[in-house]
Amino acid sequence: MTAQGDTVRPFGVSVDFGDHYTVLGVTGEVDLVTGPMVDAIVSSVIDGGHRAIVLDLARCDFLDARGLRSIASAIRRLAEVGAVLTVRSPSAMVGHLLETSGIGDLVHLEQERPVTGPEPSRTGPVTVRAPAGHLGPEEVARGSGTGGETVLPDVVRPLRRITAVPADDDVVDGALRLVVDLARATVGGADGVSVSLRRHGRLSTVAATDQTILDMDTDQYDTGEGPCVDASVEGRWFHAEALGDETRWPTFVPRARALGINAILSSPLLAGARPVGALNIYSRAAAAFTPQDRELAATFASGASAILTEAGAGVGSDELAGRLTEALEHRAVISQAQGVLMARHGLSAEAAYTVLLRSSIQTGTPLQEGARMVVAAARRPRASSGEGLGDSADG
Amino acid sequence: MDERPPDMFNRFRREAELTHGELWLRYFELGGMSTALELEAVLYGALWPTGHDHDVIAHALNERFVELGGNHPVPYSEGMEDAPEAP
Repeated sequence: MTAQGDTVRPFGVSVDFGDHYTVLGVTGEVDLVTGPMVDAIVSSVIDGGHRAIVLDLARCDFLDARGLRSIASAIRRLAEVGAVLTVRSPSAMVGHLLETSGIGDLVHLEQERPVTGPEPSRTGPVTVRAPAGHLGPEEVARGSGTGGETVLPDVVRPLRRITAVPADDDVVDGALRLVVDLARATVGGADGVSVSLRRHGRLSTVAATDQTILDMDTDQYDTGEGPCVDASVEGRWFHAEALGDETRWPTFVPRARALGINAILSSPLLAGARPVGALNIYSRAAAAFTPQDRELAATFASGASAILTEAGAGVGSDELAGRLTEALEHRAVISQAQGVLMARHGLSAEAAYTVLLRSSIQTGTPLQEGARMVVAAARRPRASSGEGLGDSADG
Repeated sequence: MDERPPDMFNRFRREAELTHGELWLRYFELGGMSTALELEAVLYGALWPTGHDHDVIAHALNERFVELGGNHPVPYSEGMEDAPEAP
C-alpha cells in the first residue's frame, strides 16, 4: 500500500490546541495499523472536552477502508456530543474517497490550507524514535525550537512530540509511547504514566514519561508485586488510592512512597482476550484520580489494547516462529531420549518419559537438558559390545 | 487428588505469570500432545487430563517456577509420586 506521490511520508499525528479549534494533523497513511492510533487520539481529545475538531488531511497520503472507519467513528463520537467534524484539505484522491463513501456529506469540508509555514518544513512535530519514552536533548531542543506555533499550556506540551513512526516492529512501541504521552497530558491526577508489556514471559516497560516512573515499574517487576504486575496478570484494573493505607503489596509500597508516589491506577492491556500488560498512571497525591480520570484511563487502555490486538501483539510473528522452532527442537531431543531409554531398558514410551521427568524433578535441571545428556551418552561409542545404541532390550 | 480445586492448574499458571499461549508452548516443548484449546479446558477444570498429561503440564509449570527461583509447587499425579525408582 503506497501513496500516490513520489514519497511516502511516515505516519504521524500532530495535535494543536488552538483558541477555537483543536487541529489534528494527520501525516502519511491511515490504514489497518495506523487507524487505531488515530482513533485513540480522537477519542482522547473528545474525552478531554474538545468539541471543535479539525482533521487536517493536507498531508494525509492515503486512506483505506480502515482509515475511513476512523473518520466515521470520529463523526459518530462527535455527533453524540452534538458536534460536527471538520475535515480540512483532503487530497483529490482522499476527497474522492470521502465523497463516494458518503462520509463527505457528514462533515464540514474545508479546502483552504492552514498557514503554518512553508510546506517542506511542516513535517509535523518532532519524530520520536528514541527508546522507551526518552527524548535526547537534541530532540527536545528541536521540539521547542519550531517557532511560529501557538504557545501551549504545560500540560499539553508532550503532545507536541507524539509523532509515532511505524517502521515495522516499531509500530506498536511508537503507538504505546503515544498513548503514554496522551494519558499524561489528559488524565487530571497523572504525574507520570507508563506502559508495561509482557515479552519473553517477562514484564518490561515499553514507554514511560520519566525516570521515576521507569523506576516505579522496575520496582514492581523486581518485587513481583504491585498494581502493574497484578493488572498484567489478572487482566483487570487495580487502583491504589492511597499508598499510605495500602496493605496489598507490602514489599513494593515502601519503595513507591520513598519515590514520592502516593496513588497508582493500573489498567490492563489485552491482546484479544489475553492480558499482556498494563497502563500505569502514577500520582504524587493520594486520592488523585477522579472517576472521570479512571474512565479516561480505561479509554486509553482499551485504545492501547486495540493497537496490541490489531498488531497481534504479545507474540511478534518472528518471535513466535523462533519459539516454535526452538520448541520443536527440544521436543525432538526428548523423543530421541525416550527412544534411547525404550531401546535400552525395554520401556514403553510413557515409562521412558517418566524416567526423564523423575530425573528432572530430582536434579532440578530442565527435562530437556537431561534428555540431551541421554542422547549424547547414547551417541558415544561404547567400549563393550552388546549394549550399543539400537540394541533392543535384553532386560 | 480429588480435593484439588478444578482450576488448580490455572491458578498456578497465573502465579507463574504465564499466558495460556506461553504455557502451551512450554507444554508442547516438553512433548505435550494436546492442542492449546484442550490445554485451556484442562486448566479450568473442564477436561480431566490423563495421568501422563497431568505430569507434563505440572512439569511445564514447575520448570517455570524453578526459573523464577522457586521449587516444584505443582503436584504431580499419584502414579508419578509413588512410582519406584527408575532404572
